[in-house]
Amino acid sequence: MIITNNLTKQFGDFTAVDNLSLSVKEGEILCLLGANGAGKSTTINMLLGFLKPTSGAATINGLDVVKNELKTKEFITYIPENLMLYPTLTAIENLDYFSGIAGKKLSTETLIGFLREAGLQEDAFQKRISTFSKGMRQKVGIALALAKDTKVLLLDEPTSGLDPKASNEFGELLQKLKNKGVAVLMATHDLFRAKEVATHIGIMKNGKLRQQFVAEDISLPQLEKAYLDTMNHLEVMS
Amino acid sequence: MILKTFFKESKELLRDGRVRAAFAIVIILLGIAVWISARQYQNTNEQYLVAEAAEREVWDNQGEKNPHSASHYGTYAFKPKYPLSLMDQGVDKYMGASIFLESHKRNEAQFSAAADQTGLARFGDLTPDFILLFIIPLLIILLGYNSFTKEREMGTLTLLKSQGVRPWKWAVGKWLSLFFPIFMVTAILFLIAGILLSNLQDFGVFKWGSLLAMFIVYVGYYIIFINIILFISAKVEKSGIALVLSLSVWILACLAAPKAASNLAETKHPFPTRQEFAANISKDKQEGLNGHNPWSKESKLLEQKVLAEHGVDSIHQLPFNFDGYRMQKGEEHEAEIYFKHYNYLKEQYAQQSDVYKGLAVISPYLPTRFLSMAIAQTDYGTHWDFSDAAEEYRIATQKFLNDDFAQNSTYGDWSYQADSDFWKKLPQFEYEPPQLGSIIRSNASSIWILGVWIVLSFSIFLLTTKTI
Repeated sequence: MIITNNLTKQFGDFTAVDNLSLSVKEGEILCLLGANGAGKSTTINMLLGFLKPTSGAATINGLDVVKNELKTKEFITYIPENLMLYPTLTAIENLDYFSGIAGKKLSTETLIGFLREAGLQEDAFQKRISTFSKGMRQKVGIALALAKDTKVLLLDEPTSGLDPKASNEFGELLQKLKNKGVAVLMATHDLFRAKEVATHIGIMKNGKLRQQFVAEDISLPQLEKAYLDTMNHLEVMS
Repeated sequence: MILKTFFKESKELLRDGRVRAAFAIVIILLGIAVWISARQYQNTNEQYLVAEAAEREVWDNQGEKNPHSASHYGTYAFKPKYPLSLMDQGVDKYMGASIFLESHKRNEAQFSAAADQTGLARFGDLTPDFILLFIIPLLIILLGYNSFTKEREMGTLTLLKSQGVRPWKWAVGKWLSLFFPIFMVTAILFLIAGILLSNLQDFGVFKWGSLLAMFIVYVGYYIIFINIILFISAKVEKSGIALVLSLSVWILACLAAPKAASNLAETKHPFPTRQEFAANISKDKQEGLNGHNPWSKESKLLEQKVLAEHGVDSIHQLPFNFDGYRMQKGEEHEAEIYFKHYNYLKEQYAQQSDVYKGLAVISPYLPTRFLSMAIAQTDYGTHWDFSDAAEEYRIATQKFLNDDFAQNSTYGDWSYQADSDFWKKLPQFEYEPPQLGSIIRSNASSIWILGVWIVLSFSIFLLTTKTI
């Protein structure tokens, strides 16, 4: 579903993403770990068409993201670190608008169903977003993914700043989406959450994908060690 | 997507307390302005009808009198207030409402509303045109300055872009959400004005077509402002900067450009002072035939010419009173002098208008103002037209009186008196102002300029949204 092939992005002399090749299939969750500046967000921005790759290619559902920028977005839902919605609109109204401009015509009942499925409490459906916590806004984002019947979910530090309960709930939601066949690419610093939700884990440093694991094959302490080794080793190398 | 964005933006606007307050203020101001203007309009027209009837009564009942004495006694041409002056009072306030018509002299309109006011009148009046031209553009700024910048500042732009939004559709949705409330406020105002005017009795002919034309002009003006404000919002990063730039455009277009145009027009094509104007006319008059002076060189030449034409030796043998004939010829000569000097003023005015039209390139306010006043029949052009019609009537009146004097009396018989029914034979002064068709034709350049503004500003706005 998500494939990158030698994807590279340079800003002048600085290489943010360096020959990145990865793939995320339906029903897989790939968590990209890495320090700030590792190239995780740049990768997501290229998949979204916000940045043009310097070289290499990326496809979503078989379509090149540069050549089919608008078409590929039909399959994508993107949840950034701080999902911002319209504060004076209610949760339903926000969901209605964003799913609407993505081409979905859904009844209020259907939208309520998605909000419910995303775990938002009933009494929040008609409340204005200005009263929502970050975790509640993330749930609206998940509801949007459900409403769009999304094929690809791109997440950029989605659990950053969430309390453990909210973070856990978010993880459960990702599992639901995974089970629906959604391909999830999540950039995160949160090793614990990555181990909890991912099917695959990658570690990035200086724009390169240094290590990749099947999540089931590695324990959390092993992951932590691999992460620290990668960071330290590469720093010495560089 | 366009409708979704339109409804979403409209909801956001409606839920913004500042927007609701601004709308309430504008609607209250409009209500007060229309009410004040309607009262002024009614009062002025009542006064007009009373004055016109009274003056005609005085003219008709002069009794037996020498026609030339009657010509000096004079009468008045009253300028009616036209229905759409309710919307745009234009220059009416400064131009005078009546012209005294007498022999030998073309008078200026007098008794302007401004002359009856104190110096406090410099603060201006609360009129519908003030709100339409100045306040509603400010409302557009308030509603639209952060239309795009807020998306950046709130962070919603990222989520929007990730939905595969086509920028032009999104932009058109935003455009509509700004246009619709402005359109509705303007439409309601014009509808109320139309209903008010169509229900007033005996006060000129109100035409819905003219009101519609004026409405279209203002809608065009607002479209331009909407395009400019949204263009700024799409182009800059911060709402604060967008607000400052939008207000700067308003100041430039609505305040600075018209005043600069006035100064420039006056400097490039100045009107003569009142004293110079009067002195030039007086000089020309002295060089021609004076109907009152039978001994002047010009009078003697006229006498010889007329005697030769009729093949007689003495003016006593002429089949008419030569005094009356000479008076008429004197009038015709003086009328030509006035025609020449007023034509010069008109040419200067036309050149000044060209300066205004040139500056319309930097300000959509200017063509809008000119079109609005012209359609309301309160512009300088209509005043000229009225003044010319009054002058034509004055000339015709003098001929009517001089012909009677010449035909019904003998040379030297200044004791002749027309009978008391004679005065009623003079047709009443009736003035038909320029109609909508001719107004549109004579203001075609302003319409073109507005059209170019609309198309260019909308195109630039749409092109800009591609890069958001």
